[in-house]
Amino acid sequence: MLAKPVPDTTGQERLGPDFRVDRAASPAVVNANDDYALEAALKLRETAGEGSVTLLAMAPATAPDTLRKALAMGADSGVLVTDDALAGSDTLSTARVLAAALGKLDYDMVLAGADTSDGGTGTIGAGIAALLGLPYLSYAARIVPGGGRVRVHRISPTGFDVLDSPLPALIVATQALGEPRYPSLKGIMAARSKTIQVWSLADLGLDPATVGGATSTTRVLRTQAPPPRAATRVVRGPADAAAAELVTFLAERRLI
Amino acid sequence: MTAPGPTAAFRLTDEQRDLRDAVRVLARERVAPRAAEIDRTAEFPWDLKELLASQDILGLPYPVEYGGLGADLLTTCLAIEALSAACATTGLIVAVHELAALPIVMAGTADQKTRWLPDLAAGRKLVAFALTEAGAGSDAGAIATRAVRDGDDYVIDGSKRFISQGSVADLVTVFAVTDPGGKRHRNLSCFVVETDRPGFSVGRLEHKMGIRGSPTAELLFDGVRVPASNLLGREGEGFSLAMRTFERSRPGIAAQAVGIAQGALDVAARYANERVQFGKPIADFQMIQAMLADMDAQTEAARALLYTACAAIEAGDGDAGRWAAVCKLVAGDTAMRVTTDAVQVLGGYGYVDDFPVERMMRDAKITQLYEGTQQIQRLVVARSLLAARR
Amino acid sequence: MAGIVVVGEVGGDGHLARISAEVATLARSLGSAAGVAVRGLVVAADPAIAAAELARYLPNVESVAAPELADHVPAQRIATEAVRVAADADYLVLGASPDGRDGAGIVSVLLGWGVLANATGVTWEDGGPVVEMSVFGGRLDTWSGFAAGKGIVTVRPNVVDATEQGSVGRVTTAAGDGRELVPTVRIVERVAESTGAAPIEEARIIVSGGRGVGGPDGFRIVEELAEALGGAVGATRAAVDAGWIPYAQQIGQTGKIVKPALYVALGISGAIQHKVGMQTAGTIVAVNRDPDAPIADFADLVVIGDLFEIVPAVVGALRARSA
Repeated sequence: MLAKPVPDTTGQERLGPDFRVDRAASPAVVNANDDYALEAALKLRETAGEGSVTLLAMAPATAPDTLRKALAMGADSGVLVTDDALAGSDTLSTARVLAAALGKLDYDMVLAGADTSDGGTGTIGAGIAALLGLPYLSYAARIVPGGGRVRVHRISPTGFDVLDSPLPALIVATQALGEPRYPSLKGIMAARSKTIQVWSLADLGLDPATVGGATSTTRVLRTQAPPPRAATRVVRGPADAAAAELVTFLAERRLI
Repeated sequence: MTAPGPTAAFRLTDEQRDLRDAVRVLARERVAPRAAEIDRTAEFPWDLKELLASQDILGLPYPVEYGGLGADLLTTCLAIEALSAACATTGLIVAVHELAALPIVMAGTADQKTRWLPDLAAGRKLVAFALTEAGAGSDAGAIATRAVRDGDDYVIDGSKRFISQGSVADLVTVFAVTDPGGKRHRNLSCFVVETDRPGFSVGRLEHKMGIRGSPTAELLFDGVRVPASNLLGREGEGFSLAMRTFERSRPGIAAQAVGIAQGALDVAARYANERVQFGKPIADFQMIQAMLADMDAQTEAARALLYTACAAIEAGDGDAGRWAAVCKLVAGDTAMRVTTDAVQVLGGYGYVDDFPVERMMRDAKITQLYEGTQQIQRLVVARSLLAARR
Repeated sequence: MAGIVVVGEVGGDGHLARISAEVATLARSLGSAAGVAVRGLVVAADPAIAAAELARYLPNVESVAAPELADHVPAQRIATEAVRVAADADYLVLGASPDGRDGAGIVSVLLGWGVLANATGVTWEDGGPVVEMSVFGGRLDTWSGFAAGKGIVTVRPNVVDATEQGSVGRVTTAAGDGRELVPTVRIVERVAESTGAAPIEEARIIVSGGRGVGGPDGFRIVEELAEALGGAVGATRAAVDAGWIPYAQQIGQTGKIVKPALYVALGISGAIQHKVGMQTAGTIVAVNRDPDAPIADFADLVVIGDLFEIVPAVVGALRARSA
């Protein structure tokens, strides 16, 4: 079992009914991409002039503080799925739990932060969409809903592809959607009175024997701190001499 | 948002902590990178003012019914302190925005509040406090600006000097003599003057030692006509209104001073850990440690006194004036001492603008001068102390 | 027959993605260590070219023509085919590219198989793959295995060099599974914004510019050095936010994670958000005016100076060498 001196990231989802968007957040470490999904949801709600944004998180019970920050940014309410049995969940289990939670909510759109930073696998969004039978649109740089459908610009190696899909759909957000706002002070004060529902596995109708750490399909065999890099060589002096030294260094390492 | 009385040990409420932390994030990420440039160019940071407005920070002290957050004095001071640690000019924007509107909040009718407070709470308009004149600094009784009743209006003539943000304000709360023959402390009245009225103009702008991004202006009133409905309270109430304003404005400046001190202390401590002389970080040397320890202790003490004073004033303490004076007195002297020592810790590097401490030292000085000089604060404290023991 | 299946990726030009050649090479060496069969799967609108290319790395390749992929996102159909071939496999291996991750996520749920993602190394121990990964912002390396003898692995670019097997494997065409196990997504338009350079994660050499580059003009110097070194151009978040370079080239916590053989950081402070994106590079070289910048702590070589003087000198020296 991997010791967790630094909290790990778990799957993150956003759900959007009537532009209600749900978001799953990791307790202490925030997947940096999550805020982009939330910001995108808030902007969609502003553009539509209606709808609500709901956060969905699977996390240890200490998570409400992280959800509060997201509520302060402007989400309307939150749902926290928490259960001791979920500790050590793998991505498959996380996807199943979040999909089960989404099954109890209404939405037009689910927005997720790309779980690609650090220990994230980048697979949870696809898994949830598959379980729910939702169209899955990933790596979104732009989201334009309308008439019960949505167009998404999906980042490609050469630029982007324009995807078209009916709603409801699950969309994975990227930084390209725009900088997340700072929570305003009014938002911070309002967040205190917004509701966070807390659901356990029992509330979801899930048997703890079928999800969570006990059912993990993977296990950590060993860990090790990476070997330290060699001491830095510092080069100063006139440009030509420095350049020559750098080129020699690269040549020695067979890089040129 | 209640805080316990002054004799109880206190903690910030969760909400106060959240608000303070949110302002700290903005101070670190958006304000701090601009601070050196603001000082160098001496330009009012409109971009940061917009940021403060959009984040509801300017609206903190304003009543909820007018679009503000209804924050208590301590919470407002937390915001000023957090901002001032990054940039004293930016912290001052919040402090001025709080104090200059106090006459309206304290003495305005519902109609007057409705006219002016919503725009201020939203940060759409700025307000300045115009009491001081060339011949009337500590001696507020020597004010010469006149307001003469003429039908349904008052006509204001005179000039004000050293008015913070006077040149960027949309409204000014002006103190003028309405009863020239009257008793010294009963002859002043307070008016709101919209700065687009004919006859109002901005005279000189001062070139200052510090808080250089905050414009300090001479305001000229040449037959400025305002309706009688711009009078706050009654004629003759101006002086007492000013005194009551100080009870809530002086802590704001104390907060600025505590923030400046903390900012300087942080820079000095970090520097001491990194600067290596004689083969070790200078933080290992006891003379440096002693200086830093004193700086820390003094800043902590000034902060504790400020928070206690805010709680007392908010709770309606009968000697609010003394609390305001004592916290401003201690904080201002602390800021000057701590920033001077911060420069000392950095040595030669503290004297050059590669590091922010020389700016912080120049910024700190004003906290010993405005909002009542330290000497005035001492008079207030002494009078209160001795009166109680008579 | 069980064994390992490599799910190949096909580029827009119809050729096999380089990462798939790398993954196939890795899988082949796993297969010989384990004594299990390794085969490939290529699913594309027109898979013939890519399948033939994959067959240079694997003895058996199954090719499925899926014409609808001309205007549909590929991951869903690829996943459906992968589920079909998984009936006779124990492990699926894909590149950790956007499409690879999407496919792995879908297959994982459809099969109930676990995923070990973003592998920086894979070996075979005690009857199963052992997957090396880097977590916690690079502070820890972990080795993990699958609990039940089945699993999906996604592999980062540049983990192995693609090496052909020396003979041409057999390509079998298959009709594939026509069912839609998950909803497909239509592509209505493809927009090209850049010259179509290979994904930056695949580059062996990356030259990146940061705040110190100063502006879009400054990036010309970055591009010149990249060209002289035969590398790709990367950037920090600051440069992307300032609009000097597209987001597709951003390296870091909210951008791409890369592991090139050589990473050259120009005018980059080396703050943690960027560091996590490139710290495992083979060699890190930096040019910075500030000797106290964090990057000077973990680079292998740092040149302290003005990059606008240093970099042209380096470009000149490189050109003189190859002249």
